[in-house]
Amino acid sequence: MIPFVLAGLAVLLAWVAPGLMARRKGFRRAPRAALVAWQAVSVGGILAALAAAPATIPLLLDGEDPLGRLQLVVPALVASAVIVGRLLYAGHHVGTRLRRVRADHRQLVDIVARHEERVRILQHPTPTAYCIPGRQSRVVLSQGVLDALPEEQLEAVIAHEDAHLRGRHDLLLEFFSVVTEAVPGPLRSPEALGEVRLLVEVLADRAAVRHSGEVATARALLTLAGSREPEAALGVGTTAPVRLRLLADGPPHPALSLLAYSYAALAATLPLVLLAMAWA
Amino acid sequence: MPHSTSAPRLGDLERVVMEHLWEAANVGGPLFDGATVREVHLRFEGEREIAYTTVMTVLDRLAKKDLVTRERDGRAWRYSPADTREALTAQTMLRTLDDMEVTDRRTALLHFLDGATTDELADIKAALAEIEARAEGEQATSARRRTIRRR
Repeated sequence: MIPFVLAGLAVLLAWVAPGLMARRKGFRRAPRAALVAWQAVSVGGILAALAAAPATIPLLLDGEDPLGRLQLVVPALVASAVIVGRLLYAGHHVGTRLRRVRADHRQLVDIVARHEERVRILQHPTPTAYCIPGRQSRVVLSQGVLDALPEEQLEAVIAHEDAHLRGRHDLLLEFFSVVTEAVPGPLRSPEALGEVRLLVEVLADRAAVRHSGEVATARALLTLAGSREPEAALGVGTTAPVRLRLLADGPPHPALSLLAYSYAALAATLPLVLLAMAWA
Repeated sequence: MPHSTSAPRLGDLERVVMEHLWEAANVGGPLFDGATVREVHLRFEGEREIAYTTVMTVLDRLAKKDLVTRERDGRAWRYSPADTREALTAQTMLRTLDDMEVTDRRTALLHFLDGATTDELADIKAALAEIEARAEGEQATSARRRTIRRR
């Protein structure tokens, strides 16, 4: 019985929950708690799928018809092995690719850009600001962004990028890229990666607000949003309007974070509790 | 430039060597036909102590990365920048925007902003107006509090 519950839970956490969670846009106001919830649901989904196999073992041990029970145990073990294999493969694949792209880009930036104390400056009129995460991280600004923003707003932009680097937001994005890639195409739910992408931006915006105030942060967002062509090909909305709206709405009710954290705790521990029950 | 006794990092040297080559190309103009390892090495004189073989290694690495091109000149190679610094900068900028596959790029580099459409700009401006109004309101309140306290 419990193995089926675990399999059902895996489906629930991997395919049903992401869609529902992406629709609860209010949680974006509590970005840190929301990120924890997204991670808990992903980890919980994986744990539930993997726990289904060991949960079948007790059936084999005290069953009257061990051979008949094998029909249940073997497919469960195979499914677990496939899931582990896909995750490891995707992890290796995504990790290598990202590290290579970042290293190549960092080397290029180090050669062409002007070196300043905290940042690298690309001598180019198009305003842009980004960071290259990793062990040798860089914050990169273009001359265009230096020309477009007064100092206070520039500080907000740098604080935003620093927050990405300090908080290792790249690891979060990498984790969700791996999970997304590990799931076969038709079963994939792209909501998680998209929402996590937005949430780390909101989190970094909060850091910028703490550093430079909300007015400077909001103005920097507006100036840069107006100076760049949107990525029309993506077919999804850009993050700027959502982020500005969240800045305007201010901090959430504390209960919202509490709710997200409780949900996260439940999603991550339920598979383990079920597994323990199967063996009890 | 502070003198360092430890071996300087190769990445740092790559930049300095590229700068030397760009400068030489600028000075030489259309007549510039590349610099040999020896010529690049000479440019370091008085600036910092670098072994000849190190310069050779760095130029070799740069050639492998297609940042410099080289031509045989007798027994030596003559190295030239593959592109001007401006062109390479433009290329770097472009790479952050459309070179990679879209999902990968957005995970590899974290941009401050992904741009906005004209419709979205209107929403953004409305939200900014709210934030500014609130900030002014807060300022006014705290100013009033200060006046009250002073009395």
